[in-house]
Amino acid sequence: MVAPARLSRRSLLAASGGAALALTAAGCGGGSGGGNGFAQASGDKVPDKYAKRTRVVVWHAYSGNPGTAITELAKRFNESQSDVYVEAQFQGTYDETAQKVTAAVQAKKIPDLVTFSEVNWHNFYLNDLLEPLDGYFGSGLKRSAYNQKLLSEGVLKDKLWWLPLARSTPIFYYNKTLFHKAGLPDRGPATWDEWRDWSKQIKGLKVKGKQVKMEAYQKVDGDWQFQGSVWQWGGAYSNGLNVAIDQDPAVAAGEWQRELIFKDKMAYMADSPSVDFQNQLIATLVTSTGGLQGMTEAAEKGKWEVGTAFVPKKEQQVVPTGGGGFGMLAYSPKDRKQAAWKFIEFCGKAENSAYWTLTTGYLPVIDAAVDEPDLKKRLADDPNFSTAVKQLDIVRKEDEVRLMVPNANILIYTGLQKIWANNTPAKQVFTDVAGQLKKATDKVRKNIEKHI
Amino acid sequence: MTTSTVDSPARRSSRGGRVLRYVLLVVVACVVLGPIYWLVTSALKPTADIYTYPPTWIPNPLHLRWSNFADAWHAAPFGRFFLNSLIVTAIGTVGEMLCATLCAYAFAFLRFPFKKVLFGVLLGAMMVPGHVTLLPNYLTISDLGWINTYQGLIFPGLGSVFATFLLRQHMMTLPGEVLDAAKVDGAGHLRTMFRVVLPLSRPMLITAGVITLVAKWNDFIWPLIVTNSTNMRTVPIGLLFLKTQEGYNNWGAIMAATVLVIVPVLVVFFFAQRQIVAGLTQGATKG
Repeated sequence: MVAPARLSRRSLLAASGGAALALTAAGCGGGSGGGNGFAQASGDKVPDKYAKRTRVVVWHAYSGNPGTAITELAKRFNESQSDVYVEAQFQGTYDETAQKVTAAVQAKKIPDLVTFSEVNWHNFYLNDLLEPLDGYFGSGLKRSAYNQKLLSEGVLKDKLWWLPLARSTPIFYYNKTLFHKAGLPDRGPATWDEWRDWSKQIKGLKVKGKQVKMEAYQKVDGDWQFQGSVWQWGGAYSNGLNVAIDQDPAVAAGEWQRELIFKDKMAYMADSPSVDFQNQLIATLVTSTGGLQGMTEAAEKGKWEVGTAFVPKKEQQVVPTGGGGFGMLAYSPKDRKQAAWKFIEFCGKAENSAYWTLTTGYLPVIDAAVDEPDLKKRLADDPNFSTAVKQLDIVRKEDEVRLMVPNANILIYTGLQKIWANNTPAKQVFTDVAGQLKKATDKVRKNIEKHI
Repeated sequence: MTTSTVDSPARRSSRGGRVLRYVLLVVVACVVLGPIYWLVTSALKPTADIYTYPPTWIPNPLHLRWSNFADAWHAAPFGRFFLNSLIVTAIGTVGEMLCATLCAYAFAFLRFPFKKVLFGVLLGAMMVPGHVTLLPNYLTISDLGWINTYQGLIFPGLGSVFATFLLRQHMMTLPGEVLDAAKVDGAGHLRTMFRVVLPLSRPMLITAGVITLVAKWNDFIWPLIVTNSTNMRTVPIGLLFLKTQEGYNNWGAIMAATVLVIVPVLVVFFFAQRQIVAGLTQGATKG
């Protein structure tokens, strides 16, 4: 009575075991190794007409309009020549893309080109995963074609590791209609002190029954805008790897914002300051150039006008940059690296760079792009669009600790939240943050110093 | 049929209790339905109406923006995403339930050495957060050459401790007499399982099945990691294609796509609900 059951159980086990084995064997047949043990990331079947070309896999972090733009660039590139086939694969946010590259390197199945954020590429550089790009420039794409300030942000130890692509900077947005109502001039303030004087005139204005405030601070990732503030006040997050956020200028910048929130009552911390600006809850805002399209559309809908200007100065006039760029993985074999460079050359053509900027709203990274007819027209027609391009003269690369120390940005913006929400004195907060930053820096100092 | 003008105190308090209960029910319903209402109405609004203060609670019926759905559908290959999700969820759920049932049956009714220890190990696996196994799973799947394939999407999810545990606990409550009767009638283990145990476990099977199905349909991290190309993506990742990291988001289209994504799950839940409720009340009356 028991025997048949046992038999069926055993035969079942045998059957499933056999099936698993068969699948494993099939799987082993599928994987193929490269010369150095690194294979290429898999993807779709290459279309027949491109089958004989060198296949290049690009992992990118662009969805929405930028996603459309990079897919279109890959398509145009594939149609423009007959040697290389680029497959552009979207992998989520910059952070998700970076995590995936890490996993891919461990699994030894890697893409050839990756778009890294201004923070992320450093991690890969520090782990010797990036290819220096200096040797690839030539008649197809000259080094001088790039905006030199943006290009120089990808240089470490006199070598270029990261090419600018989707770059942006914070600019100053203001509500022209509210400025007019308050009797203020139709321009951005030259200095933060002037701005604070103006805030007194904005005080008392109401839109839809709501008191209008002067500005709002972004709860998460607000440390990017604050990087600019610290510089404008004459300080820094760090000088080299020496943490400086607890020094006077940074503390003064923090205190300034604390006073605006708790004494002047003209600012506050918000989840999405851009949305509040679009709904006229705040009259001015410092945020990424990438937000322009959304602001313009909301302004049209709400029947008011949006203006842009340079970010005001205090001791200095300077802003950080942000966004993404191309890195090439060093473990990719030589022929694929050269093929990948062909795609970079294609993106670096003035007309393609102009197309990218027009579709995405990112800064033109190729200087000649601004002379392309379409972009030239757009810049002339829309003064707000050209503010960001003009502001390129005052950009600076972010401080090393924020860029290279893991989670430094989180430590800083969590500190800022205490100033903005709990009214904690900036000196106290930044002393605390500096302590944590120093500890985190010491953990990676050796490796960083070897690499810079 | 009395029409007394004065209620007894006890009656009044029970009526008061009922009112309170209904008020609470309405509050809970609002908490649950509020976000869904907001999602569905936002899917029909122009973007500028979604982010306004004060909020527009009822979209203008004359200007419902149905084109949000078309925008979403055309912004990314959602047809393909749905097909992929359908394949992965269907095969994955059936496979997982099969494994879980067999495993649960073994732990409930078979006698084998170290049963308790093994079950302890199984329960221990439930405590391991998914992120811990993410990389080892990825490396295994990569070694098998299954990155960017359906096998890669489906296989690592087939072993489910949760469903196993749920089914095993239920099977333990089944009356031993029924099983003995089956044995006397000459039923082997497989026959006992399919003819006796599973029909008796139907509500629990459906409950576990629905939970599994919803989890597979909504799974985000694993499909994101294990697939590379757009053609192999599932619907939750499809939503990511609509959202940009900085700059302008077409929220109307994002909301519309989200509605499309949750509709299949809602439909399944709607049909399965009766079974789940039946199962729960059945248990209640028995107890």
